Amino acid sequence: MMPKLYGLLKYSAILLWSAFVVAPFLWALTTSFKTANGVTGGPTYIPWLQYEPSLTGWRSLFGGAGGIDIVKPYLNSIVVTGSASAISLVLGTLAAYGLSRFDYRVGPAKNADVLFFFISQRIMPPIVLAIPFFLMLQFLGLLDSLLGLILVYIALLLPIAVWVMIDFFNNIPRQIDEMAMLDGCTPFGAFFRVILPNSLPGIIVAGLFCIIFGWNDFFFAFTLTFTDAQLLPVAVVALNSSVTPWWSLSASALISVAPLVLIAFLVERFLSRGNLAGAIR
Amino acid sequence: MNGSGFRAYKLAFLLPGLLILLAIILFPLIFTIRVSFSSWDAITPGLNNAGGINYVKLFGDVRYWQSLGRLSLMAVGTVLLQYLLGLGLALLVWREVKLRRFFRVLFLVPMMTTPVVMSVVWRTIFHESLGPANDLLGMVGLGPFQWLTSASTAIVSVMIVEVWQWTPFMFLLLLAGLLSLPREPYLAAAIDGAGPIRTFFNVTLPLLAPVSIGALIIRLIEASKIMETVYVLTSGGPGTATETTGYYIYIRGLRDFEIGYASALSITYLVIMIVALTIIAKLLVKVFIGERT
Amino acid sequence: MPLHLENLSLTRNGVRYLDRVDATFRRGRLTTVIGRTLAGKTTLLRTLAGLQAPDSGDLKLDGVSIASVPVWKRDVAMVYQQFINYPHLSVLENVAFPLLRRGLKAPEAQSRAEATLAKVGLSGFAARRPSQLSGGQQQRVALARALAREAPILLLDEPLVNLDYKLREQLREEFRGLFAEETKAIVVYTTTEPAEAMMLGDEIVVMHEGRILQVGTPVDVFERPASTAVAEIVNDPPMNILPGAVVDGRIALGSYRLALPAHLSRLAAADYRFGLRATDLHVDPASEIAGSLVFAEISGSETFLHVETAFGPLALQIEGIHDIALGTQVPIGFSTERLFAFAADGALVVAP
Repeated sequence: MMPKLYGLLKYSAILLWSAFVVAPFLWALTTSFKTANGVTGGPTYIPWLQYEPSLTGWRSLFGGAGGIDIVKPYLNSIVVTGSASAISLVLGTLAAYGLSRFDYRVGPAKNADVLFFFISQRIMPPIVLAIPFFLMLQFLGLLDSLLGLILVYIALLLPIAVWVMIDFFNNIPRQIDEMAMLDGCTPFGAFFRVILPNSLPGIIVAGLFCIIFGWNDFFFAFTLTFTDAQLLPVAVVALNSSVTPWWSLSASALISVAPLVLIAFLVERFLSRGNLAGAIR
Repeated sequence: MNGSGFRAYKLAFLLPGLLILLAIILFPLIFTIRVSFSSWDAITPGLNNAGGINYVKLFGDVRYWQSLGRLSLMAVGTVLLQYLLGLGLALLVWREVKLRRFFRVLFLVPMMTTPVVMSVVWRTIFHESLGPANDLLGMVGLGPFQWLTSASTAIVSVMIVEVWQWTPFMFLLLLAGLLSLPREPYLAAAIDGAGPIRTFFNVTLPLLAPVSIGALIIRLIEASKIMETVYVLTSGGPGTATETTGYYIYIRGLRDFEIGYASALSITYLVIMIVALTIIAKLLVKVFIGERT
Repeated sequence: MPLHLENLSLTRNGVRYLDRVDATFRRGRLTTVIGRTLAGKTTLLRTLAGLQAPDSGDLKLDGVSIASVPVWKRDVAMVYQQFINYPHLSVLENVAFPLLRRGLKAPEAQSRAEATLAKVGLSGFAARRPSQLSGGQQQRVALARALAREAPILLLDEPLVNLDYKLREQLREEFRGLFAEETKAIVVYTTTEPAEAMMLGDEIVVMHEGRILQVGTPVDVFERPASTAVAEIVNDPPMNILPGAVVDGRIALGSYRLALPAHLSRLAAADYRFGLRATDLHVDPASEIAGSLVFAEISGSETFLHVETAFGPLALQIEGIHDIALGTQVPIGFSTERLFAFAADGALVVAP
């Protein structure tokens, strides 16, 4: 009796939470196909039964009435997130390897202090940097530009890459590096030929985190761009007024979160092949 | 590794990342500190020297200190909730469950979404008359709530959104932690005749301590910056009921354009957070992992 | 092409890992370095390899200083005590790796690697990954990689210590054969086990606390240890060192008296430290010297008895398995013709 009851509770809990997770998506999905009569009379849920579905919301994403052009912000986000993540990953991995293998000393500061410096950047509330970044980019003529955003995002994502990779590197015995150097590799050679191939899971995790945090940033994109370099989150939030119809809002919300949700499912397939199991240790 | 010939390589690995980070972060930080000692605002722009006048002013700024208290409550509250839920979920899908893989991915999804974008959706959900929240609750007899228009429930709404968004993070870390636990202690506990509850408290939880603390600290750091959700969902309201420090500084600095004062607020905010988070981190490590030299 | 170590010193955290070490290693010779843990053996090898820079002193290969040559430019091969192989490469790729780095073309590297794998008995394993192999096999891969390089200097740091007993014995025999063929390289092999050092080395270097205590052939070091420290290190169990004296033409150990054996007859009356191997002590009911049994250990077909006498602890190694109760008074017979005499400062005075 007990195991059965326990099983029932277990699945109920799982289903309950699943419902909670999925609810906003489902709501946005139905709403995106509504028009005025599906909204103003109170919430409706089932198409054809409670309201007449239409593609107005989705069409507004491409410059239709009451909406915006979502294509440009989309592309901007891809460029900025991709570039900043790639650069942060490269620089962060190199730095993490250095911190893992060598002993540094700058005055009183040693490895642990440098690492703390990298990781503590995440404590920095965005607002502290917003104004100086604004003035800095303005001075450099990089306001409302993709390049300016990329530079700012590198500062945000680099600590993440360092944080993830240093743990990975610390778990690889130093003797492997030494063996590579004994066999004739310079430290760079050892890093590229031996350590990196054995750190692939870590790099993927770090890259993922960079992409997630980069794609989903709002504040810096908001304060440092206006029209040319507008990113996706800003475009969506710009719609968040009482004037914009809910169906445009919902459609734009769904389309902007879709890529990462897709990536989540793709990564899971990679995860389940056991590759990442040892990585998240 | 410190034989000869390593020096150049040592620097080549660390310096590019370190220097770029320093360049992009350090100058703005120093600049903000400098600006905090000026009285730059919309009327009198420019870097003058106003001494510590902003800092004196913020001492008596009740709204600022209230926002800090509010932020602390929200941060600690949501993080604890996220931890408990995340742990519960991880335990649920840890071992033999049907469709385990599917649920594991599903539970991760909210974390991958853009918080502000989902807040836009949540705003429609919490709409008192046109949103599904009150509608569905009404179907089970629970009265309509003033999700975003009442001071007390507004904070709950923000917390609901935060919990929805970030519990997956705890779930991810704790699940990974659970999956890498050794078998032996469990075999020993089974031999000793410990039931599931005792095993959980005496074996699982202690073994998860390092991962738990790491997850808590990271989430606390991120939660201490709550601002975007508030911006979209409630604009700090009603009144200042959900105004976090980040949001308040945003208003003073980028809306009212009191740059000098906002800079002082920012720097104080940063220092308080660094101190508080460091203390909490050290405390957590000490209490749950024990002394480590 | 001898390798000269001149006055090498290295201190870290107050511990002297190398203390003014002078040594010469020659080609075609297998030198074993024996010492306890933390004697400086590993540090010595790492300094030879270039993984650690000495605080002072010099390393000269063929008269040319290599102390400032970075490790990746020195042609040194090393086998670690932990089984170190490249996890992401197959066994064959592991062995071929250094060859490719040194500029060999792929086909030639492959054939050399295959030949070396055959030498270490791993012919059928070329396509496997190291993680799929047992500890002994992994160490063979590491060895093959080191041998395939035909480097002028080959270092092995306690390579067998993490293997089980039977495997150790087996590999030791194989090593003898393998290294007999290495006529061109300088081979340095460290160990803590006297048996291993004796069996493998053309020459033994005894290290203790960062210093070299003695260099010589196995027979030399074993029969004529330069000091009590050496005598303790190269014997297993360590040689018993007993503080005593020569008084009135007899050996005095505490209140006991023993007749002077022939080889010690010309010792002057003075304080000495006498050395006697555990195998040169036996249970002798007729002896008046006795000690109480503190600890007994049975190993294979021998029993080790540790007794506490009035003049200090003694270790006895006796044939057969004996079950003696702790605390029993064990009468001890001394084979005095095997007695070593060391001066009070530890230096050897007379060996049997």
